[in-house]
Amino acid sequence: MIIDALKYLAYVLVFPGFLFCFLTGLLLCGIDRKLVARMQKRVGPPILQPFYDFFKLCGKETIVPAAANRTVFLIAPLVGLAGLVVLQLFIPVFSFSAFSNVADVIVILYLLLIPALSIIIGGASTGSPYAGVGLSREMVTVLSCELPLVLVLLAVGKKVGAATGTGLCFSLTEIVRYQMANGSLLWRLSMIPAAVAFLLVIPGETGSHPFDAAEAETEICEGMLAEYSGAPLGVYKLSHAVKLLTMTSLFVMLFLGGIGGRLEALVYALGLTGGAAGALVMLLSVLVLFLLCVLLTAVAISLVHAVTARLKIEQIFKYYWTVVAALALLSLALAWYGL
Amino acid sequence: MILLNYIASFFLIVLGLYCIVVKYNLVKTVIGLSIMDYGVNLLIITIGFNPGGTAPIFTWGELNPESFFVDPIPQALTLTSIVIGACVTAMSLALVMKLEEQYNTIDTREIRRLRG
Amino acid sequence: MNMLSLQHFPIYSIMVLFLGAFLIVMFGRNKVVRHAIALLATFASFFFMAALFRPVMLEGETIAYWMGGRVPAGGYAIGIALEVDALSLFFGLLVSCVVFIACIYSIQYMSHDDNVPQYYTLFLMLAGGVMGLVLSGDLFNMFIMVEILTFAAVALTAFRNTANGALEAAFKYLVVGCIGSTCILAGTIMLYAQVHTLNLAQMSALIPGNLSTATKAAFALLFIGFCTKAFLVPFHPLAADAHGAAPASISVLISGVLTKSGIYGLIRLSYFLFQSMALGTMQFWLVFLGSVSMFVCVTMALAQHDFKRLLAFHSISQIGYVLAAVGLCTAFGVSSGLYHAMNHTLFKGLLFLAAGAVLHETGTTDLDKLGGLSKKMPHTTVLFLVGAFSISGIPPFNGFASKWMIYQATYQKAVETGNIGFLLVTICALVTSTLTLASFVKVTQSVFFGQLPKEYENVKEVPFGMRLAMGILALMCLAGGLFPDAVTRYLTEPAARAVFSVTAYINSMMGQGYAQSAMAVQPAVPEMSFASAGVWSPISWLCLLMIALLAVTIVAIAGKYDRVSVRTPESLSGKYDLFYGGEETVYSQVGGDDLFWGFKHNWRHYFRFMHELHSGVVNDYALWAVVALALAVVYALIVL
Repeated sequence: MIIDALKYLAYVLVFPGFLFCFLTGLLLCGIDRKLVARMQKRVGPPILQPFYDFFKLCGKETIVPAAANRTVFLIAPLVGLAGLVVLQLFIPVFSFSAFSNVADVIVILYLLLIPALSIIIGGASTGSPYAGVGLSREMVTVLSCELPLVLVLLAVGKKVGAATGTGLCFSLTEIVRYQMANGSLLWRLSMIPAAVAFLLVIPGETGSHPFDAAEAETEICEGMLAEYSGAPLGVYKLSHAVKLLTMTSLFVMLFLGGIGGRLEALVYALGLTGGAAGALVMLLSVLVLFLLCVLLTAVAISLVHAVTARLKIEQIFKYYWTVVAALALLSLALAWYGL
Repeated sequence: MILLNYIASFFLIVLGLYCIVVKYNLVKTVIGLSIMDYGVNLLIITIGFNPGGTAPIFTWGELNPESFFVDPIPQALTLTSIVIGACVTAMSLALVMKLEEQYNTIDTREIRRLRG
Repeated sequence: MNMLSLQHFPIYSIMVLFLGAFLIVMFGRNKVVRHAIALLATFASFFFMAALFRPVMLEGETIAYWMGGRVPAGGYAIGIALEVDALSLFFGLLVSCVVFIACIYSIQYMSHDDNVPQYYTLFLMLAGGVMGLVLSGDLFNMFIMVEILTFAAVALTAFRNTANGALEAAFKYLVVGCIGSTCILAGTIMLYAQVHTLNLAQMSALIPGNLSTATKAAFALLFIGFCTKAFLVPFHPLAADAHGAAPASISVLISGVLTKSGIYGLIRLSYFLFQSMALGTMQFWLVFLGSVSMFVCVTMALAQHDFKRLLAFHSISQIGYVLAAVGLCTAFGVSSGLYHAMNHTLFKGLLFLAAGAVLHETGTTDLDKLGGLSKKMPHTTVLFLVGAFSISGIPPFNGFASKWMIYQATYQKAVETGNIGFLLVTICALVTSTLTLASFVKVTQSVFFGQLPKEYENVKEVPFGMRLAMGILALMCLAGGLFPDAVTRYLTEPAARAVFSVTAYINSMMGQGYAQSAMAVQPAVPEMSFASAGVWSPISWLCLLMIALLAVTIVAIAGKYDRVSVRTPESLSGKYDLFYGGEETVYSQVGGDDLFWGFKHNWRHYFRFMHELHSGVVNDYALWAVVALALAVVYALIVL
């Protein structure tokens, strides 16, 4: 009983919860910044720069604006971060999943709104007009991403459900298990458009270039973060970094889950058994997951960031609801007709 | 005879609806509502009416399979419906009066502050 | 308590409300007496319903009550009956509970108004009308109750007749409402002409076997009649007008209770009287209507700049969810639809009460004029946020639990039937949910956050009684989201079973074996499967969130997170003069209307079209009603 409780506590606090999110998230953020800089022929900050930034911000003074609602202003960032970390617990690491029977993909879709809401409510509570403009754009960005995301998830649910014979499958653990047995979904014809659509959704969801109208520093002073300073600002920056991890690992689990099967096969081929094999599989899984996340960040975020300029908010909306949604819809249609 | 009743009742209902849809005068709208109501009342009465039937007043002993009488239930329903119709008229006229006070017009095209 | 006294509880629970209305007319001058009567009547009504919970919901009994003891003779139901099966009780419980809470709220909310006795009279009449409607076992009595509740609702809409648009809204509601009521009456009498009975159970036994042109037309008439009561598209503008003008406690009843009576009527009509739901075309009809209402009303809400009008459109949008789910004709679908109906009553009530609180303190509900109230009304803000999160389907509140089931139910139906239409409904439902969130972000920003206008400097928090009512609803919202298993097991699943057990309904009313002898074809009871394809256990999630939040907070406090040394730039002696030197704080608030222009810009043609369509002229709305009626008649004649 106590052992179980400690185990779950460790899940929440260490892996795949807090510590893991904190380290990998900020590391991904650093890698992204470095990559963008290199692509633009700059030297760029050290890879550990986000860590330095975070700790520096935590040491700074916090100013609560006169118009702000103090409680909301201070609590909103914490709730957002906690929500995001809990969300990460539901995303399995290949065969390992900390809490498999708590939430399915549809729930995850809505849990993804919680960090966005926290930043919106926090920003709104400051009363700053910059925040007003920023939250409006943030909400529209969320809206834009929603339709393609919904379509992608429905397509995956239908595809896996049809393949496993249950008709519908929304459980992320089931989806990963299916892929580990039958190969990644990415290599199915019907899923390729969905994967591309999801890749395009990642920068929108994380609010990076060119879909960062909500935080446009040059026009609206980072919008909702305009009035934030000190530790709360640091928490928001951390949340942003963790969201990188969340979105990329979600992609891995939705479309590249088959790699987990390969890993297991590899370890067993080495002749290992028992606890040692389990530990090795686990270690490899985390490593591979991290590498894949880096790769995805590089492709979906850094590359896109380096080569595009910021879009206007109505262009973002139009882009997602036409191009990306069409890709996802194509995928759904293909899955529907059994391809 | 009965057929004429049916035709008349449907004509009244449609006339009432027509009046509500087409006339821009609030009082005429109220009249339309009433006409529609009368149409339905006529319909109810017609449904209950059996040509040649007697009044439906029996005791248990008198009632036998051969008794031929007018169906009493629709008549009871009509009474209720008439009362309700009167209430509709009263209430809508009261509203029209108040509206005229506030808007200084009884033209529906000008009473449209709530829209969109 | 024996069965004999339980038998009388349904009629008691209707009667106390009407009796209360009567007593308030007589003795309502005194404030204390008036409030005591109103609270007692509404609570008694709730108590009588709650007492029936055990026999009806848990033990699955159906309570049939014949007025004056006139039980059916010779296979004909002559007396007037009340019949309470799990479906009726589900709605009855919901109605009486919300009425009680709205009554608590009214006491302080209406304290500044004139003619308060009349308010309570009408309030109780409205409540009694709805109770009578959902418990009635007789079609004509349903019509009477519909008329009573329509009248009370119209009068209450016009209650604050000096307010902008109250009279106008009442008149429009009266006209279209009367068209709807007349449809119900005409439909009722046409059915009577065919089967010569008005008893719901007996009609349910007799109609499905002999469908004639007249019965089909009657179906369409009744259908449109109940649609006007539920304010489904194309009757949604009336809801917006009526809610906007009525006092908040009445908006709660109109949206939470009155629309439910429409939904209840539609369920009785299509599942019981005609048993037509097995037809794919009927399912299509309901689901289509639900989806259109869902989507059209949410977009209309996005374009609003009055708090209560916006809520009104959302109300209909959520009713669209309910109808779409109920129209699926699967056990899971009906159960999720009823669950959402319940949740809708709770969160929508909460939101209207919050809007009322804002109106009570500031005197306006114009989103462009308000702002920054969260500092002045912190409790109302939190309660409003609970409601807003619930309706937008944010976990772990109740709106999410039911919407999540609706997504699954529609998608399951799509996969089972291979019909791509249901898939579109799923997508529509999912996207509508986010649009709902967007418009509530707009309200949050425009009313509770942002900058506080000068004239509201002295606004205070609302009195305790109003917060209590909102608090109860907020707790129920949270509980409904955290314990979906309990809610479905004890409330919605029995009700969904009742929806499909038509034979039992008929027999318990007309005597055992009646359905078997009167009906040529026994209605097939579909397989009752309440299984969902996904997993969601809110309690575990909440525990995890709490642990995570605790951990974050501890770390944050250890890191001197709340070391707030500076509160305002002005309070500093020149420390930040470099940044703020010589500047004054300027009032600047982003108007609610402009908030989502990035979205609206892409849809500008649609929004302009919709704006012009909702012209506010009563003739147009009446025309929509006539067109809808004509379409319904044609459709019913073709497909039924």
